[in-house]
Amino acid sequence: MTQAVEANPYAPQVARLSRVIDETPTIKTFCFDLEQPLEFRAGQFVQLGVPGLGEAPFTPSSSPLDPQHLEVTVLKTGGVTERLHRMAEGELCTLRGPYGKGYPVEKLEGKDVVVVGGGVGLAPLRALIHVLFSMTDRLNKVVIKNGARESAELLFRNQYAKWADHDKVAFTMTIDNPEPGWDGHVGVVTTILDNLPNEVNVPNAYAFSCGPEIMLRFVTFALLEKGFQPEQIYLSMNRRMSCGIGKCGRCNIGPYYLCKDGPDMCYAQIKDYPNVF
Amino acid sequence: MSKTLFFSETGLSRLLEAIQASEVYAAVRREQGPEYSRLQKVSEAEVALRQPRPSASPKAFLQPARERVAVYSAAGFDADASRPVGGDWALVGLRACDLAAIAYLDKVFREGDFADPFYEARRQAEFLVSVDCVAVHENCFCTAVGGRPFAESGFDLNLTPLESGYLVEVGSEKGQEVVDRAGDAAREPTDDEMRQREAARQQAKSQVEEQSGGLRVTEQVQALLAAKQGTGELGEMASRCVECAACTFICPTCHCFYLYDQVGGEENFERVRTWDSCILGDYSRMAGPAGAKPTPRPSLRNRCANRLLHKYVFSPQQYGMLGCTGCGRCIEACCGKIDIREVLRELTGDTSG
Repeated sequence: MTQAVEANPYAPQVARLSRVIDETPTIKTFCFDLEQPLEFRAGQFVQLGVPGLGEAPFTPSSSPLDPQHLEVTVLKTGGVTERLHRMAEGELCTLRGPYGKGYPVEKLEGKDVVVVGGGVGLAPLRALIHVLFSMTDRLNKVVIKNGARESAELLFRNQYAKWADHDKVAFTMTIDNPEPGWDGHVGVVTTILDNLPNEVNVPNAYAFSCGPEIMLRFVTFALLEKGFQPEQIYLSMNRRMSCGIGKCGRCNIGPYYLCKDGPDMCYAQIKDYPNVF
Repeated sequence: MSKTLFFSETGLSRLLEAIQASEVYAAVRREQGPEYSRLQKVSEAEVALRQPRPSASPKAFLQPARERVAVYSAAGFDADASRPVGGDWALVGLRACDLAAIAYLDKVFREGDFADPFYEARRQAEFLVSVDCVAVHENCFCTAVGGRPFAESGFDLNLTPLESGYLVEVGSEKGQEVVDRAGDAAREPTDDEMRQREAARQQAKSQVEEQSGGLRVTEQVQALLAAKQGTGELGEMASRCVECAACTFICPTCHCFYLYDQVGGEENFERVRTWDSCILGDYSRMAGPAGAKPTPRPSLRNRCANRLLHKYVFSPQQYGMLGCTGCGRCIEACCGKIDIREVLRELTGDTSG
């Protein structure tokens, strides 16, 4: 980004879509080959927008280790995202960021790491998974749990084999509504957390979850029940964020602004405030 | 560096005319009460220096209700068109509560990882003249939130109306320059005039204390409010709230805004910032079908409680100061006759009022 853009935190850069990937019937990934790399930490978010229409916050799904090739995975769910879903290679988008703190990757050395995704919630977690794969020699274990409504909505399906093949990584998935022929696990994502105490050493683990707030709520309760302490649980509280820099006010949980202090919040920090889930 | 001089009524007019800012705003007299307004020429006769604080806060001078913050096109961000505009400006007749609010807005917009260039530019180009409150509005309760009805810092010049003229305290180098330009209208104050200032200040302070009826937002009161989070009690005022958001728009510290994009010309797009309010239902509403993406605070009770908590509990944690200056403007602005003093008293068990 240029100096002038940095000095004006509301000003976007304009970036050309280099590729659009159809991930599921409702999810697409938008890829940018940036002239100036957008350096970010896994879990930090960008404001991606449609010129003249507006922007919305998304945590990139691509690797922070490759900041020139930014990928943002988007569920079609509102005005901006519907317009984004109609865009094609070569069209222009607005980009600002990165914002927020990102996942506390530095805490993970020697730890067991549990990653729980639901639906498009796996998108931000994929940035974390990229980082985890780059540091497996310094991790004890990685357990990835992923859930979706139906098999067609399973995100990043071509990655699962790679994840499952790594000797330090365990991958499990489930869907809520099976179609004929599905021979995998059926049930909401919490149903594949039951065995966690046998898969990880709970006192030595951190858990990261992203998905709909109703899912985060039940994942949190399940993790607590399995012996996780609130300090060991990180939740992606991706609420509506406009400015991205802790000034416009709308994304607060208690005294925290999710855009500035999150969007991934340690459950211990937020658990005692109203309207968390 | 604090230096105080005496100006007569006519001397004060000369002092204000010496400000030389390209735009001058002041608390001016209106039939319905003082209000901040643009002046073509500063003459003390129309500036409201002996009336209570204006009914609207001066925050719009620092954060306009609507403002373009960026221009971009297919070619990228247009840095030249996205810079703050406007020259030097002055605001005359600010109250201590207004200065306290500016100190709060400074924490929001000037500190942290990202400064707001528009707020910053206006702060740097400003000249602030505050005035001691010699008349107190019936809704004022600044002393209950750690304030006083007179300013001791944060101004370029501060005025104290006396019977025979004004004491003018210099608060900055810019203030000194203005005083120097009107220097021959000034003289050293007498000891008696300095005593008159002290007496007038104590009198105003006593009056605010008296009408605040023992209300004081102490740390214990803040802790009491914090302890009631989630009980539902904090949202009681919702039964009288009509969701007009006047309290937030009139409040000198409320600063929430929303960014939206629009087509700005044949090839250009604009990003615009507009005031927003945490009282409004759509404020935090997320995309998606109703229910699937919950609004974090779907009920008005939640939103009223959140506003109260932000003022008295979260702001001290975020910025080290209360988000309320005790100006009482929200009290007269409220269509539902919600009196924040009564709300605080009821919630914290203070019945002395």
